[in-house]
Amino acid sequence: MIAIKLAFKNLLGAGLRTWLNVSVLSFAFVLIIFYNGMIEGWNRQGRNDTQDWETGQGQFWHPEYDRYDPYTIRDAHAQLSGEIAIQIKEDKLTPVLITQATAYPQGRMQGIALKGIDPQQKILKLPTSDLDNVQDEYSAIIGKRMAETTKLGVGDRVLVRWRDKNGTFDAREIKIASIFKCDVPSVDNGQMYISLNVLQKMMNLENEATLLVAGENYSGGEIKNWEFKDLQFLLADFDRLIQAKKAGGMIMEGFMLIIALLAIFDTQVLSIFRRQKEIGTYIALGLTRSQVVGLFTVEGGAHSILAALLGAAYGIPLFMYLDSIGITFGAPDMGITIAETIYPYYSLGLIITTLILVVLSATIVSYFPARKISKMNPTDALRGKLQ
Amino acid sequence: MDIIKINDLVKRFPVGKGHFTALNKINLSFGKGEFAGFVGPSGSGKTTLLNIIGSLDTPSEGSTIVMDKSISDLSHKQAARLRNMYIGFIFQTYNLLPVYTVFENVEFSLLLQNMSGSKRKKAVMDALEWVGLTDKIKSKPNMLSGGESQRVAIARSMVKKPEIVLADEPTANLDSKNSHHILQTMKKLNEEFNVTFIFATHDEKVMKYLNRIVTLEDGKVVSDKENKS
Repeated sequence: MIAIKLAFKNLLGAGLRTWLNVSVLSFAFVLIIFYNGMIEGWNRQGRNDTQDWETGQGQFWHPEYDRYDPYTIRDAHAQLSGEIAIQIKEDKLTPVLITQATAYPQGRMQGIALKGIDPQQKILKLPTSDLDNVQDEYSAIIGKRMAETTKLGVGDRVLVRWRDKNGTFDAREIKIASIFKCDVPSVDNGQMYISLNVLQKMMNLENEATLLVAGENYSGGEIKNWEFKDLQFLLADFDRLIQAKKAGGMIMEGFMLIIALLAIFDTQVLSIFRRQKEIGTYIALGLTRSQVVGLFTVEGGAHSILAALLGAAYGIPLFMYLDSIGITFGAPDMGITIAETIYPYYSLGLIITTLILVVLSATIVSYFPARKISKMNPTDALRGKLQ
Repeated sequence: MDIIKINDLVKRFPVGKGHFTALNKINLSFGKGEFAGFVGPSGSGKTTLLNIIGSLDTPSEGSTIVMDKSISDLSHKQAARLRNMYIGFIFQTYNLLPVYTVFENVEFSLLLQNMSGSKRKKAVMDALEWVGLTDKIKSKPNMLSGGESQRVAIARSMVKKPEIVLADEPTANLDSKNSHHILQTMKKLNEEFNVTFIFATHDEKVMKYLNRIVTLEDGKVVSDKENKS
């Protein structure tokens, strides 16, 4: 208790030097929380968007289906049983039929994934009801990215060629019913959505689908001949991306923290040589050497407490402001799931973890120079003789 | 009864491959309430002897018994406790803690004794009254004159009512008027509380106040006599 009281007194008594160190450390502290808050905000938004637009609460895949292997698509389809039909009717599942196709926008050729989906579905955010709003039976919705790469607009027609279940090529003009905006590139890039019934008819695959998307109402349980893929599996790529970003961030945070800690280390080393007489006086007054080591260690570590308080003083209003307006990056199209505006998420766990990290590292770097005191001869210290 | 007993004390310091003998076969004893001093030229061993009595240093040979405790046998912790409970120090350069106020400087030793707040406050105010500095309790050391700083140091050494006060050249940085003032203060405290004061000095002004003068030369006691001046 005495060490803490004395340490804070010494620290505040040191004036500007203390506040310079504390300012640098508080900046590191706020930056670490800010960066991690951004990543966590991105993570949460990304996961939510991916669930809302693509994965739902999980998916049942045809056993042949592999999202990374286009060659599996041709044979990855099966009949929808009565049990599945009931769940579809209750909005617990929505079926999706997938086939490879080629679009010919303005004479060019582009491979696409043609996806059949129920226009009435309510599980995914895809504006599938737009498919019902046009007279033309062969209408499609596409994402903004797809529209840009193919230079298609609403009302345009594009020739699409596909192979039915027997391998026979067929082709037809499809009218673009609407263009949607989505933060999840895998829902958008190279994807064209048409009515499920229409695609089943085009493919001669009546009442068949490649996968079933589960909604929030889905009660769970297995479905015979379909493999359930949970969110952990479906979001694995996104999770890996976030982990990579976090790891990259840690390097930046590490550098930031090292700069701040170097300032404390430097101050501690200087203190121990500059304050030799003071150290000698402490010992003469009855402190043991280990108590003096403790005092100097706490003093160095206390920089981090002051940094946390200072960081809180300007960090909390800053974070609250950023949380209310979000951080807009324009319209990045980096091929990854990222919203135009990210709302950082600062959890209590993040703040406590950062606090512990900063306090612990500041205390450790303070301890090493302070250890030298334990080897000091108090009579030399009193005379300020040590080199 | 002797509270300090020094027998055949030798102190050597390593110098290069050899060593330098700072104190050579010292035999001395001090009773309670003495107002004594070590005098002699620079390098005669005055401060070294004072440091050993104050348990800031240890003998190379011989024994130094302070308050029935052998300095050589004390652990760091025991030595710190001895200093905190029984020994007060006064230094030539005052050695006040710069970021603390006068009150806090004097209070410091009592904090280590875990004394209650109210008792501590009374003790500090009493000590500052002895040295006539109750109007400076909120001042920082850099706002005090040399004489005032040394009076704070005296209050700090006396606040815990020690058995022994060790003063190393306490007047070296003071003018004549301030020197006499602090020496009178120390003499008064010595008589009032029966505290043993031991000085290390070569200041004639200090010698006039001492009851006993131990003269050291080249680490040896060359004379030990009562001072009747």
